[in-house]
Amino acid sequence: MSETFVLPVGPQHPALKEPTSFRFKVDGEYIVDADLRLGYNHRGMEKGCEARTYVQDIYLLERVCGICSNAHMTCFAQGVERLMGIEPPPRGVFIRCLMGELERIHSHLLWLGVAGHEIGFDTFFMYTWRDREVVMDLLEMVSGNRVNYGMQTFGGVRRDLDGMQIKTLLEGIAALKARTPYYLNLGATEPTMVARIAGVGKLPREKAIELTAAGPTTRASGVDFDVRKDDPYAGFGDLIPFTIVTDNGCDVLARVVVRAKEMMASYDIMEFILRNLPAGEVRTKAPRKVPEGETVSRVEAQRGELIHYIRANGTDKPDRVKVRAPTLANWPSTLYMLRGAYLADIPIIMAAIDPCLSCTDRMAVISDVRGGEKVWDWETLRQYGIEFHRRRGIRP
Amino acid sequence: MDLLKVALYLLVYPGLLFLFVYSTFVEWVDRKLYARFQHRRGPLYTGRAGLLQPIADFVKLMAKEDIVPSSADKPLFNAVPVLALAAVLTSGLLLPVWHFTTGIVSATSFPGDIIVMAYLLSLPTFAYFLAGWASASMYASIGAVRVLTLLFSYEVPMFLAILSPAVMAGSWRMAEIARFYQLHPGYLPVNIIAFAVAILALQAKLERLPFDIPEAETELVGGTFTEYSGRKLALFRLLTDVQMVTGAGFLATLFLAGFPGGLVPGFLWFIAKTLFIVLILSAIRAVTARIRIDQMVNFSWSYLAPAALLQLVAVIIVKGYLP
Amino acid sequence: MSLRLGAMLPEVFRHLFKRPATVLYPFEKNTVPARLRGRPVMDPDKCIGCRMCERDCPAEAIEVTQESETRTDDGKVKRRFSMVVYVDRCAHCGQCEEICPAKPDKAIKLNEFFEEAAFDRGALKIVYK
Ligand code: SF4
Ligand code: SF4
Repeated sequence: MSETFVLPVGPQHPALKEPTSFRFKVDGEYIVDADLRLGYNHRGMEKGCEARTYVQDIYLLERVCGICSNAHMTCFAQGVERLMGIEPPPRGVFIRCLMGELERIHSHLLWLGVAGHEIGFDTFFMYTWRDREVVMDLLEMVSGNRVNYGMQTFGGVRRDLDGMQIKTLLEGIAALKARTPYYLNLGATEPTMVARIAGVGKLPREKAIELTAAGPTTRASGVDFDVRKDDPYAGFGDLIPFTIVTDNGCDVLARVVVRAKEMMASYDIMEFILRNLPAGEVRTKAPRKVPEGETVSRVEAQRGELIHYIRANGTDKPDRVKVRAPTLANWPSTLYMLRGAYLADIPIIMAAIDPCLSCTDRMAVISDVRGGEKVWDWETLRQYGIEFHRRRGIRP
Repeated sequence: MDLLKVALYLLVYPGLLFLFVYSTFVEWVDRKLYARFQHRRGPLYTGRAGLLQPIADFVKLMAKEDIVPSSADKPLFNAVPVLALAAVLTSGLLLPVWHFTTGIVSATSFPGDIIVMAYLLSLPTFAYFLAGWASASMYASIGAVRVLTLLFSYEVPMFLAILSPAVMAGSWRMAEIARFYQLHPGYLPVNIIAFAVAILALQAKLERLPFDIPEAETELVGGTFTEYSGRKLALFRLLTDVQMVTGAGFLATLFLAGFPGGLVPGFLWFIAKTLFIVLILSAIRAVTARIRIDQMVNFSWSYLAPAALLQLVAVIIVKGYLP
Repeated sequence: MSLRLGAMLPEVFRHLFKRPATVLYPFEKNTVPARLRGRPVMDPDKCIGCRMCERDCPAEAIEVTQESETRTDDGKVKRRFSMVVYVDRCAHCGQCEEICPAKPDKAIKLNEFFEEAAFDRGALKIVYK
């Protein structure tokens, strides 16, 4: 078969956990070309922020993503703090950092499982997710919830740790620290797994830089970029020691290795934090109104560099909030990796950047193949939707 | 009396009823083992410890809406599941259990039945191919091509592997081969490589991990079965279960000395030996990732087929030196 | 590192003899940690009617209404407030509890109840009088 044909993956497909749409031009089992359409999951959050107060926004932005909720919260909180001209007290900074690392652990374990599932290794998936429960329980104990921890606020964190919690945290971390090397080992020695991830999804160093890849994806291509090092926040840099993890493999295996080693680095960071927790308050008082100004706030989320742009106009509501989630930065390199790959490698290559579509999605203007671009306002869109369903006999 | 025996043979054991009940049981064992390997519980509520879950699933699927895609080749699309199921059910009748002795040649046991059996077990694979082709869907067509590619890579090693016990026993009849090893159990370990090859090939035949390439949920949605739903999907699923039973029975006959001792002990041997093979199949499924189709082709031609050939040579040499 | 065939085999066979990790949820329940952010519960006796919770709730799940106004003998005005919490909208963020200025005890608090599923949406509109 030398003819090419177009294989749609998405908006609904078992390999995608959230809706997006890929069009693959395939020749038998090879991918000749790949194309991406975003816009299935746009929720108008940036606009929503403008209609709400800062206090409400912090909870809204937390829900941009269920996995990196704390990263979004931290990013927004520290940007607004900068505009307000306040600083969290040291204990608050430490706990803020602790939450970020706990979240990184849960996210990386989740990712390992998903990667296993994408290549059909469900046992791996079950084990990693079982162990992830350990860190989920820790998060629930510290913050009162398993997802959307709601820990960050302007001027610090909302909850303090007590001695009992510190002890439980240290125990949980020790257990995970003992377990993580097993997965790292497995990823590098199980023959079928290695066959599926080694040498797959190659992203050379120059390409990673050129296509602005972010997070573990770029670090697995040997680029030592990490916001925690390059633009330190939440105590990194001066208060909390941190080592950057890179790998020169440039393939999916390298991304597994980078993430597993990052988890090991996070355990060390957390142990340091818990052993050296400064005494004192966890938050300072924050004003309700934010003085005029604008700022860009950056955080190293689990998936890479997360950027929030905030413009304040002196009221208690922001003038503009802009979110650049790491997945958006990783799409160009994903398309690059997919071209020329095997059909069977689509899920794992896509999963390897740890995509989060709801964080990333943009409003899209669909250019109709039959000609012309259309911009529809809310009313027309709604009317179209009602008509669409009525024609199919569904009551609106 | 004989007529009754034949009727029982066809309808009860190892015929329709037994195959249906036992295959659902085997599915339960497989699911339970797979779950326990993964530190889960597996089926739990329907029946005692979830024993009836496969039957419940079957009934549920039977009751679901059955959709035929408008662009599908409808007659073929509808016929394939039934034909394939018929093929594996027939293969169940060839298993040498209590009904006959080596002395008498009958319609279910004759010289060369080993080849017929192997072909009957291969028929579903062609059915999968046709099913995918008739669906006229992108995912199903890719699945169909993969089914054929997969078939070409495991079929030759499979045939070579089942040759060695036959050559060793000097017969083309399953009952006689089983009898030979019952009399000389010492020869069983000679075929160990062929046994391993056959297990892997059976796993590929059943399209289970690491060889579930044509179905590959995360790549091809449901592969060849993407467009199947309701009753026909239920038949396909039943078919896979029955195929697992007859496949395991086939390997048990050739490599584990069959099921001696007439009705009751033979029955117990049958359960024990097939479950042993199912345990191996489940364990393989639990510890592997799905490999790619090109890796599969490579694997079977550079490892499986040579291993089976080596085994054959070994058997011929051993046979030459033995009385 | 070299490849090991069936690298996971010992692990999976070990798990065959372990108690499964699954918790049979509706029948067995894990204990929830103290300070879980569950359902917001309001105590009308303590509420001073500042409406801070209503204003800060990101989900607009709270409505505070004045019920009565009485004048005590020494001339002080005493007001009583009721509250509607739409639990189906609540995001369990705990901001209401955090902001509530009532002293000495907060008038709205999150309890440890988390099983919010209901067949009827009306059951999730909770009135505190
Ligand atoms: S917990 Fe949050 S969302 Fe729920 S009522 Fe309180 S402030 Fe509103
Ligand atoms: S914040 Fe507290 S005191 Fe104020 S209205 Fe709400 S419940 Fe009442």
